[in-house]
Amino acid sequence: MKKSVLVVLFLLSSSLAFAEGQFDFSGYLKNEIGIRLQDFNGDLQKFKNIAEVAGEYKVKEDIVLFAKVKYWYDLMYDFRSQYDKGQDAMGHIQRTDWLRDCYLDYTNGAWFLRLGKQQVAWGQADGITILDRVNPVDLSEYWLQDFVDMRIPLWMANVNYAPKLNSNLQILIIPDFEQSTSAPIGAPFTTYAYTRYDNWKESMKRIGGSVDENVYFPAKKFENSTFGLQWSDRIGDLDYTLNFLDGYYYSARNTTIGLGGVRFKVDRAFKRWQMYGSSFNKTFTNPGLMQGITLRGDLALYKHEPTYIGDPVTASAKEIKRWDNVFWLIGADKYVATNWLLSFQFAQYILDEAKAKDNTRPVQQQYPMNPFTYGPADQVENIFSVKVSTDFMNERLKPEVMWSFTDDNQGRISPKVTYEIKDNLWFTCGIHYFYGDLLDSNGQYREQGQFYTQLKYTF
Amino acid sequence: MKKLCVAVLSIALLAGYAAAASDLEYFKVYKPTQGMSADEIMKIEYFVKYTEFAHDASFYGKAYFIDKSGSVRERETTRLRITLGRKSDDIAYKDLVMFTAPAQVKGLATLTWTYMDPEKQQDSWLWIPSLKKIRKISVANADDSFMGSDFTIEDILTRRFEDETYSVLSQENFKGYFCDFTKKTYYQDTPCFVIEAKPKRSPWYYSKRILWVDKATGGGIYEEMYDPNGKLFKTIFKKFQAYNVNGKEYPAQELLEGKDLRTGHRTVITNEDIRFDIGISEDQFTEQKLMQSRW
Repeated sequence: MKKSVLVVLFLLSSSLAFAEGQFDFSGYLKNEIGIRLQDFNGDLQKFKNIAEVAGEYKVKEDIVLFAKVKYWYDLMYDFRSQYDKGQDAMGHIQRTDWLRDCYLDYTNGAWFLRLGKQQVAWGQADGITILDRVNPVDLSEYWLQDFVDMRIPLWMANVNYAPKLNSNLQILIIPDFEQSTSAPIGAPFTTYAYTRYDNWKESMKRIGGSVDENVYFPAKKFENSTFGLQWSDRIGDLDYTLNFLDGYYYSARNTTIGLGGVRFKVDRAFKRWQMYGSSFNKTFTNPGLMQGITLRGDLALYKHEPTYIGDPVTASAKEIKRWDNVFWLIGADKYVATNWLLSFQFAQYILDEAKAKDNTRPVQQQYPMNPFTYGPADQVENIFSVKVSTDFMNERLKPEVMWSFTDDNQGRISPKVTYEIKDNLWFTCGIHYFYGDLLDSNGQYREQGQFYTQLKYTF
Repeated sequence: MKKLCVAVLSIALLAGYAAAASDLEYFKVYKPTQGMSADEIMKIEYFVKYTEFAHDASFYGKAYFIDKSGSVRERETTRLRITLGRKSDDIAYKDLVMFTAPAQVKGLATLTWTYMDPEKQQDSWLWIPSLKKIRKISVANADDSFMGSDFTIEDILTRRFEDETYSVLSQENFKGYFCDFTKKTYYQDTPCFVIEAKPKRSPWYYSKRILWVDKATGGGIYEEMYDPNGKLFKTIFKKFQAYNVNGKEYPAQELLEGKDLRTGHRTVITNEDIRFDIGISEDQFTEQKLMQSRW
């Protein structure tokens, strides 16, 4: 109800604004085509048409309303019968997801308030969410979309106070809750874990069994809100933040309970967790070998992070441990040879334990599992990424290649080229090539490599 | 993307950054006079170029990138600038540039701090709408062309008085410049100092610049750039307009045209709605302000 009132208020205000010339808007129409690379047989993975419009209205110099709406429709699910199971979730935008932003900004001296549906991004990592955990994410296309499209916006109060120049205290109160989403069965980027689970469920049904699924969302109470805190400041020429987040983990974890025979109950529950973290960045501006290099980093302690424990060999999760895991990253960026930008990142995701300290189960059922695949998870996962970008033709043609990989010989290589046809017409084409073991995060999509094109008209 | 924004920041600034090392005092207006040495004239030229006379400024800018076939690409920006000349943290200027058009780049914003120490590079932060995130960015190389323009980063952003040696070639009336974009001729018969500037760095992408410095304002209205073989490869024209601010005359760049004679590509930048000394607060030039971007 409250949300509806805000939306109506915004729309009313916008119509008034238009009359007064205080209204600004822009948007785009975009077509995205994805073709499966495997065997080069022209399998369509998507044929998505997107429309997005954003507008802002300055009520006064210190009060601004902003909203962004988006709609998309994926034609592929209409004419590819093999994807029928994903039609409902992947064919068009879901529920209220069309409303991407809807908030009011209020500025008063050192205070800045942003109230409404929005997304908040923390941290310095590029393409990896270490501190960037305020909003849930939509992984229906794995991690291939822009982050602004991947984050699921939430209704929240975002309160900021700047006690001195270059510092800021941010307080987030998020009564809204949405779960992170992944691709449904029947989509190109369905996780292997979900596929294995679905196969098991179907096999149970085939032999006359049953699997009852129950999802337990956090009750709509204020104490179930997510709370966030970020302090940002500078020491010399080093920017840093201190972060804290306390809320429900956005991905539910399954607990399977046998009811006798081939009858099962699967409870999907959301667990509360906390994140303590910090980030920094620094550009070396003084003369010397390091001049021109930007160093950046994130560090997070995930307190009570729900972690699957079980038998990765049989893809059988036995329980959920609330471990204290650590995720950190360091990155460096530098221009070389006139206009080539090199970016390098190294990250480690460190689990609390290599094996659960629990002797009540057989040893093979005590291992941490990869939530994407139900495969084995290393206690220390080393992650690398390299990005190289440049430009030609007076920066009209912009090639870029990104390679991310881990020490398990799995990864993704994504080259792309963007060409500015006109000011308002941009074309992009590229490839996502996945490799690795089927039980690894990237390897699970090794047969879903994609050639894609994007044509975007802006206004 | 990062480089694009550094580059556009440059374009937007026009006035660039960091003159430093000059012994001229901030917030004063200087003009070259008869009998000045080449160094003295060029110190004033940099002072004018980097608008060190003003406490703050706001601009609305348009950039046009025109290729040989006549195809035009456009960018629009609004920008704020504050001159600090503050010794405690060595900060000379802070600039905030926000893209307003076309929609593909709308919302991109760059915050740059420039230091007085001529050896020190800028600090830059970029607001990236597709990430909804601020990224600290490395400064692009000085000889890099930016955003498809015909200027290098150095032309607009990073070249400082200390980077070249200077000599007065002559004093003459400028023959005039016909701007292809406005179809007008500017500065015909304007008295100028003609200065030769040679880069200290060698080898470098140019061997010398010949500048025509307007005696009336100290502005470098026209320059020719020569490649390492001594061949003319680029021309840059700047039109200044005097703004009367609290009884002082501020020369501001209203029009800039750069031509690459090798490719036939040219860049035109126009500045509109230029306002000086309007009391812009320094807290507009913080990461926190960038973080509040809506687009």
